[in-house]
Parts: sequence; C-alpha cells; structure tokens
Amino acid sequence: MDGHFQAFTFVNRINALDPGISVRGKYFIPPNIKNFPQSLVAEAVGQLAAWGAMSAADFKCRPVAGIAGQIELLSPVRPGQTLELSVELESVDDEAAAYHGAASADGIPAIRLQNCVGPMLPVEEFDDPQSLREHFALLCAGGSTPGGFGGIPPLEFVRTGGEPGKSARATLQVPASAGFFADHFPRRPVFPGALLMNLNLQLAGALAVEIPMPDGGRWNLRTVSDMKLRTFIPPGEPLELEAKIGTQDENSALVIVETRKGKRLAGSARVLFSTEGNS
Amino acid sequence: MSNENITKEEIAAIFPKVAETMADALGCDVEKVKPDASLIGDLGAESIDFLDIIFRLERAFKVKIPRGKIVEEARGELSESQFESGGVVSDAGVARLKSFLSEVPADRFKTPLKSAEIPKLFTVETFCKMVIRQQRATAAAGGAKPA
Repeated sequence: MDGHFQAFTFVNRINALDPGISVRGKYFIPPNIKNFPQSLVAEAVGQLAAWGAMSAADFKCRPVAGIAGQIELLSPVRPGQTLELSVELESVDDEAAAYHGAASADGIPAIRLQNCVGPMLPVEEFDDPQSLREHFALLCAGGSTPGGFGGIPPLEFVRTGGEPGKSARATLQVPASAGFFADHFPRRPVFPGALLMNLNLQLAGALAVEIPMPDGGRWNLRTVSDMKLRTFIPPGEPLELEAKIGTQDENSALVIVETRKGKRLAGSARVLFSTEGNS
Repeated sequence: MSNENITKEEIAAIFPKVAETMADALGCDVEKVKPDASLIGDLGAESIDFLDIIFRLERAFKVKIPRGKIVEEARGELSESQFESGGVVSDAGVARLKSFLSEVPADRFKTPLKSAEIPKLFTVETFCKMVIRQQRATAAAGGAKPA
C-alpha cells in the first residue's frame, strides 16, 4: 500500500451528490489514533468539497488549498466517531471552486466553514485523473475501507522568540519525507495546509495562555478567519511561524498568525479566542 | 462590454465599500487603499488575493464578476492575435488597454508590455469599474438593483 487515498484522506463515503451543487459524505475517524484535531475536520470538509468540484469539472481540475473566510470551531471530535460531512458548492469553474460546508459527529456540530475558495489547478499536476475517477466511483458506490489514516505525524515547532502575551515566533522544519506526502499529493508532494493550520493554532494557543485574565479563566478557541494559503510548501522546507495579538479586550483576543517561507508570506489567518464558555 | 461613461460619481459611490473589501482581503489598513493604488505594486496583492478580492466583491455587491475574463474584456473587439503576439501586447492592444484602463497612469504602461504583466496595471479603481459594469449588466438583465 503506497498511502494513496489512505494516509491523508478524510472522506470514506459519498452518500449524496447533486452534481456541482451539493455533496454529503462520511468519514470514520480511526479509533486507534491519539487525537483528531479540528484542523483535520476542516480538511475533511475541504476534501469533500474537492470531490464535488472535481466531479463537476470532469476531473480535469481540482481545488487546492486557497482561502477559508471563516471556520467556526464548534466542538472537538474524538477518535472512533463518525463525521457527517456536508458541502454546498456555490460555484465551480475552471478558475475556482467556492463553497461552504460543515461537519458534525454524533449529531453535534463540530465545525462550520464559510466563504471558502479553492483555486482550480490541473488535476494531472497532482494526481492520476483515472485513479481519482475510480476512487470517486468507489466512494459513491459504497465507500472505501476506513482506517487508512495513522494519526498526526510528530511535527513540532521550536519557539525562537517573541514578547510574552504579545507575540510568539517559532521555526518549523517540514519533514523531507512523511507518509502523508504519498497522498498529498502523489505527483506533487505538498505540506498539507491543515497540518500548518494545526501548528499555527498551537502557537496562537501558546500565546493566548500568556495573556492575563482577570478571573483566572482561560481563552477558548472560537473561530479562524481569513485563512489564506499563498504558496505550496514542499517537503523539507524550513518555515517561520509568528503569532501576534491583533486586538484584545477582557472578553476576546484576536491573534494574527503568519507563516513565512524565506521572505515570502506563505500563509496567514486570524484566530479568535474568547472567554465565552468559561464556567 | 463597454466601460465607457462610468462617471466619477459612480466610482465615488462604491469606492468606500470596495476599499474596505480590499483592505479585509489584503489584511492592510483601509487608508492604504487609494483609488489609484496598484494592487500588485502598491498593495502587494498576489494571484490568490485577486481571487479573494473578486469573491468578496461578488458577495459585497451581489454581482457575478466574470473571473479570468478581465483581460478578455479589456481586449474588446480585438482578436487574440491582434491583441498580442508571443506574449507581448501589440501596439493596437496597448492602445485598447489604455482606453479600457483609462484610470491607469500612462507611465505605468511599459514598452514592450508583456501580456502576463497586464494584472500589474490594475488599480483599485479598475475593480470599482468592474463592479459598476457588473451592476449595470445585472440591472439590464432585470436583476437586483445595485447594492
């Protein structure tokens, strides 16, 4: 097994498809993994959107990364749960796919994505179109075998500086090889934006912990907005991560996260924490 | 589609909303978004930002902007071969562009002008005009009144 449609695939079944309009699917989170972060739940919704967009484009183009206007992080999910995924395709053409979508687990909303846009690029650059067609048919016919994902690989950033409670900087060495590269993507390995988002959220969370709270409560991660991936990150790339406080009051803190590849801004997002939900 | 007869007043009416939309997309202060600012040269926009801006403008103004067709529209009645050859815009093409992009200062048109560099000419006002054209098209088609 080479990891294709396994190592970084988060759709096991497509149970409803209105071509170019909407798509519904499922993902069975393997029970034997340590955790399944919300960034991967967002990835699952994005992958379902990609299947919907690719099928609408007859597998000539596929959406790759791009923009997520808003991701509401509603509740965590656990290994062993089944994700119910839904996507409404707002438009699909040869330049971009626009969509919104959601995921829930055991009837509880987990995540909601709005104003997402994925630039459409030639499928052939990334994967074998015929393999994609066949796998899509499998997903629609009854589904793929669950359990291909072996968990988040050990990826850690190294804090390099910043000002406590105001900013945090770190470096990340993207691995030169990892199982997920075989699936993302077979013809052009790219570091998944969802893994980058997960690390950015961890850095933003580490910064949030440093913000004093009057009642000794804690900041809760609420939304990620204006997430934008500007460039492909190949295996082995060194990255610079930065999180800095944008605005803050007693009930909320907006953290701006940026990732740089050399001097170039590779990605950015705004992460909102709030005290809402503290008991 | 003609961009003629777009008045300064029409542009001024939508500019604040366009500027706010662009500032949100580019993560910059709205004060930086001047009508004559070049999106690439002055505001640092990349191709993904163009896509972001267009989708945001579509949502903000409730219009459908024909993505990827900006240059095609700019070409007007000229055929592709009349407009450019070997990736370089012809004299007739440059003349057409100067008319279509009348808001762009003449000194920003390089000689020779490569087709791939046309987006570097686009200013904030270029996008204002694009929105107005689409609002007019929507209204002409019996759609919603401009937002």
